[in-house]
Amino acid sequence: MSESPKISRRGFLKIAGGAALAAGAGFPRTAEAKEPRGLATLIDIGRCDGCPDFEMPLCVSACRELYLSRVSEPVDPIPKLFPRGQVEDWSKRKHVFDRLTPYNRLYVQKAAVSENGETREFFIPRRCMHCDRPACATLCPFSANQKYENGAVVIDPDLCFGGAKCRDLCPWAIPQRQSGIGIYLHILPTLAGNGVLFKCDLCYERITKNELPACVSACPRKVMTFGSREAVFAEAEKRVGETGGFLYGKNENGGTSTLYLSPVPFDRLNEVVDKGPGKPHFEAVKSRIAGTDPLGKSLLLSPVAGIAAAWFGVALAASGTKKQQGGE
Amino acid sequence: MEERILENKGLVVRHSLLERIEHWAVALSGLVLLATGLFELPIARRYFITELPGLGWSGDFITSLNIHYAASVVFISACFFHLVYHGLLGHEGMIPRKGDLRASVEVIRSFFGRGKEPPFDKYLPEQRLAYAGMAVIVALLIFSGLVKTWKNLFDPSLSPVLVLTATWVHNGAFVLFLLAFVAHVAALILKPNRPMIRGIFTGSVRLDYARERHPFWISRVEEEGGGPNRLKKEKAGDASRGT
Repeated sequence: MSESPKISRRGFLKIAGGAALAAGAGFPRTAEAKEPRGLATLIDIGRCDGCPDFEMPLCVSACRELYLSRVSEPVDPIPKLFPRGQVEDWSKRKHVFDRLTPYNRLYVQKAAVSENGETREFFIPRRCMHCDRPACATLCPFSANQKYENGAVVIDPDLCFGGAKCRDLCPWAIPQRQSGIGIYLHILPTLAGNGVLFKCDLCYERITKNELPACVSACPRKVMTFGSREAVFAEAEKRVGETGGFLYGKNENGGTSTLYLSPVPFDRLNEVVDKGPGKPHFEAVKSRIAGTDPLGKSLLLSPVAGIAAAWFGVALAASGTKKQQGGE
Repeated sequence: MEERILENKGLVVRHSLLERIEHWAVALSGLVLLATGLFELPIARRYFITELPGLGWSGDFITSLNIHYAASVVFISACFFHLVYHGLLGHEGMIPRKGDLRASVEVIRSFFGRGKEPPFDKYLPEQRLAYAGMAVIVALLIFSGLVKTWKNLFDPSLSPVLVLTATWVHNGAFVLFLLAFVAHVAALILKPNRPMIRGIFTGSVRLDYARERHPFWISRVEEEGGGPNRLKKEKAGDASRGT
């Protein structure tokens, strides 16, 4: 047995208290409380007319042109999932553009709002909101989905197993699954995974080259304003100040980098838009992952707590040994 | 350490109360971490786990994460306590020694009736090796978990390479932890090891078993004054001091 180090109880308490305080006080602000950074989009609903002269809205066709071919062809037959059996196969319905699908990462939602006896029709481009603190990305069990400094939340199809956890965590259920493709086919195709999830990646490759996202540059009515977060948010506030209107996306899910500006309140829009799979709502959304912060911070302090308790234990052992020696 | 022989009860104290608290804190929180770690994969609903009584929450990733965090507080605190407390007190009983690998092979062969097992100290050589292996796995789990938690709380756009590395280290170490846990429990099923089981619950093991299988340990306990004459010696000491 080695001799116990000599630490007084008071000394220990000073050290432990100081360490815990320093560790606690040293925490930065949580992700959604940080200063905004990266890029953002303002979508001015009042400006969109849904491109009535075209077969499909130009933002949608620009997106499809870029991304339709990026979904590889699924194997045939697609392995049946054990034990539930269900697969999600959009490969024979690539033409669908009235909802989000793996092949259609942006769609234009329609809303007819009646006010003072008049009905006004709105067209609303819908896609991933690119949240500031995206649980879909941070909680992806394989880190296939990541948030980047420029604000984009991007799924890597080569790493995605297709479990659709991201869709379950997304308050708008944005990501869409194509079964029968991806890494899961090479591991346990019937037992784990079920394809690859797809969603808007904010045209990650284009924006890293300082180009605009395809949907933004294709829009003839400049419905979308894309740029630095600071400038886009300032522009949104300016337009609200000038013409009135309502913003959605600023605080939803703890904040996002997509702002919708509407002349009518979003709860009114939410009442009339088609909602369901691939058709997101406009409800007020609180960040659920923020609810894990207290325990998350406690976890980060746990090493300090363990070390402090050990120090205390050693001090007790030392004082016990001292008493024993003094008594002998 | 409270190792001592209780001759009249036919027992020897193998683990102090503190050690047992450490063990069970790590074991029980580790089990909760294994379960909630699994529930962070999208399997609970797929495999009808959510329909089992009392496990309805398992399909909710945020609830699982909260429980995972809570169990991590216990697990990490206990591991750091263990490391620092026993490190500072110089407890080396579970640190692997030279020759442990070869000795372990002999012991494992003896479990299957090939050769006779050698006499042991307090721990078997493979226990010391398993401890070192588990320490590495736990260290990987804790440090990768801390990175992941930091990312969840403060920096979702933390370096993708770092995040990917932490994630796969965590996932890999999870599998190793599960295997190590199964091996740990399986080792206790082996007949020669069974007398050690009561030690981790009650703190003591049978003295005849310890004398037979762990003679080096018993001699050390006796040398350090934890032998059956300990009380007599203490009483004699008290008498001479007039207490």
